[in-house]
Amino acid sequence: MNQFASENFDRNARAALKDETLRGALKNLADTFGQRRRTAISSVENWEALREKARSIKDKTLLSLDKYLEQFTEKAEKAGAQIHWAIDGGEACHIVSELIKERHATRVVKSKSMVTEEIHLNNALEKGGIDPVETDLGEWIIQLAGETPSHIVVPAIHKTKRQIADLFVEKVGIEPTEDVDVLTGTARRFLRQKFAEAEIGVSGVNFGVAETGTILILENEGNIRLTTGLPKTHIAVMGIEKIIPNFADLDVFLKLLPRSGTGQKLTTYQSLITGVKRKPSDEGPEELHIVLLDNGRSRMLSHPVTRQSLACIRCGACLNACPVYQAVGGHAYGSVYPGPIGAVITPQLVGIEKTKQLPFASSLCGACREVCPVKIDIPALLLHLRARINDGEADGIKAESGPKGKAAERFAFGVYALAWSKAGIYRLGTKTARLLQKFVAKDGKIGEISGLLAKIAPPLGHWTEFRDAPTVAPRSFREIWEEELKEK
Amino acid sequence: MSKETDTAKASILSAIRQNLAAGAAFDEAYLEHQPEEEKDQFSPTVSVASGDENLVEMFCENLRSVGGICETVPDRSQAAKAVEKIIDQTKAEKMAVSDSELIIEISGQLKSKAEILRCASKEKLFECDLGMTGAQLAVAETGTLVIESDREFNRLTSLVPPVHVCLLETGKIRRTMGEALEILKKDLSRSITFITGPSRTSDIELTLAIGVHGPARLFVILIDEKK
Repeated sequence: MNQFASENFDRNARAALKDETLRGALKNLADTFGQRRRTAISSVENWEALREKARSIKDKTLLSLDKYLEQFTEKAEKAGAQIHWAIDGGEACHIVSELIKERHATRVVKSKSMVTEEIHLNNALEKGGIDPVETDLGEWIIQLAGETPSHIVVPAIHKTKRQIADLFVEKVGIEPTEDVDVLTGTARRFLRQKFAEAEIGVSGVNFGVAETGTILILENEGNIRLTTGLPKTHIAVMGIEKIIPNFADLDVFLKLLPRSGTGQKLTTYQSLITGVKRKPSDEGPEELHIVLLDNGRSRMLSHPVTRQSLACIRCGACLNACPVYQAVGGHAYGSVYPGPIGAVITPQLVGIEKTKQLPFASSLCGACREVCPVKIDIPALLLHLRARINDGEADGIKAESGPKGKAAERFAFGVYALAWSKAGIYRLGTKTARLLQKFVAKDGKIGEISGLLAKIAPPLGHWTEFRDAPTVAPRSFREIWEEELKEK
Repeated sequence: MSKETDTAKASILSAIRQNLAAGAAFDEAYLEHQPEEEKDQFSPTVSVASGDENLVEMFCENLRSVGGICETVPDRSQAAKAVEKIIDQTKAEKMAVSDSELIIEISGQLKSKAEILRCASKEKLFECDLGMTGAQLAVAETGTLVIESDREFNRLTSLVPPVHVCLLETGKIRRTMGEALEILKKDLSRSITFITGPSRTSDIELTLAIGVHGPARLFVILIDEKK
């Protein structure tokens, strides 16, 4: 199903860079969400303190995660929820499939959830003969197209309205249109029927409150309210890191998440669900099942640098701010979670072997760290993972670039370090460069020499393959300074 | 809980403990570089454009900014008149209403041809073109309505019909989300919903579209009996 693989980030990225439509959509995303976020956070007097507070809540929770999970379980069960534990995605899918089968249900509606994407729940259910219907507009579009989401918050950001219209014409038989309201109305009409008939609703969870056993889910469309409120049975899949200790902590995260994700003060709806309805005449589901998923998360607790990955609240702000994501989009990452956060959690979730390109898919500019509402030091995580990969943790790295390649890179950096730390060598170097660059410079840039570099020192070829280096200035600042002094 | 998941629980909890123990070795070195601020003393505040403490105005301003429609009336009989106007305007023929004292009284006063269904079943709700409920609380700083399942039959009535009319006594408005959460926690309903404006999506080219799954129109009639 997924035509992209994390192993081929370089190839995927190259293809994405040539896709003008995609680049237009990504620019729109970065501009629109960037601006909305800035406006939204300006309405909070002490945004920095709020981030600090959120992070300290997350840190405190993670350091006693076992305790809080037990408390959450106890409280949720007391309110009538049933808790299931799944070590990995396979187990979680099995639990959900069995719950559906035991109830002889076939009509399943789903609301958008990254964790169910992570465990490929739809694939697993389809194999068992159940066709779950995605009900978030973006997810439904993706499901009709047989694709995967390319953004955590706006899954179909890579698609134009024309492409979506063509898809609806083909799959649901509407008349051709370019009107977004008509397209949205089509989704409403089609999915209403599915909601009315649904026996089971499957959702994700944004926050699980240990103190009360409450789950909270945020949205704008209303499909989560329908998914969790109409069917007899509600199944919620929740990563174990979604726990927060206190009900009052929700205040902090409800201020942070919508502002960071979509630039709203608050999303349109929040559903806070604590167990099941009290008596048959009440509204809401009769059964609530919460599937707690580990799937590699507990491993991240073993080091303070990796542990912060579990503080992520999946707002997508780092994607919108990342120059790499803005250029190549979500699919190039070949992983469920794209962008900077995807580049750090994917290798930890699925293993470094098949994802070793991802931690290098960053310029380490730090924009992600700036916008992260829970202050995750993503560049530090990227470096941590790069170090592990360079230490050979990912098998096969040596086979690909070869010991020769690595040695050459080390040599180059050795020369660089020497030149930049000794004034004499540095001066000699710039003079030589000025002489040599005459042969390769064009419009003040050095590019198009990757072929030559690739021949003389293969690893260096990569450095100039996709970027131009500026030429060395005819006179250095130092030289100008000295001349100025002499003149006076 | 089945045996399988029992084993899974034990093994996940033990993995968490083992990994935390392993991480503790690095923690000391890492924490040395962390700023030593007193983080827990903090309580977040949010500025609101109007700046004054008039909660009704603040609520309306924030609700309008997300596309909600609000009107303030001095008493219940005027509220009934305002509802009649909305019924006319939206050409509603079948309306679902909740079971709170306020809603029962006002729906009893309505002079309208629209059929009124109290506590409509799920199936009936899909036939209704208007849903009328009260709210247990409201948050001024965001323009949010808070509805609780244990107090009123409002969970689906406020959701399934394309128009939602909410009658809100102004005394129920709180300034901040923090205050509302504190009140909610004292007697936690099984299902609580926060509603801030009509249903919306920007999933197609980030273009705003209203009313994708929930109501496309949200009317809030504020009953301010002090007025």
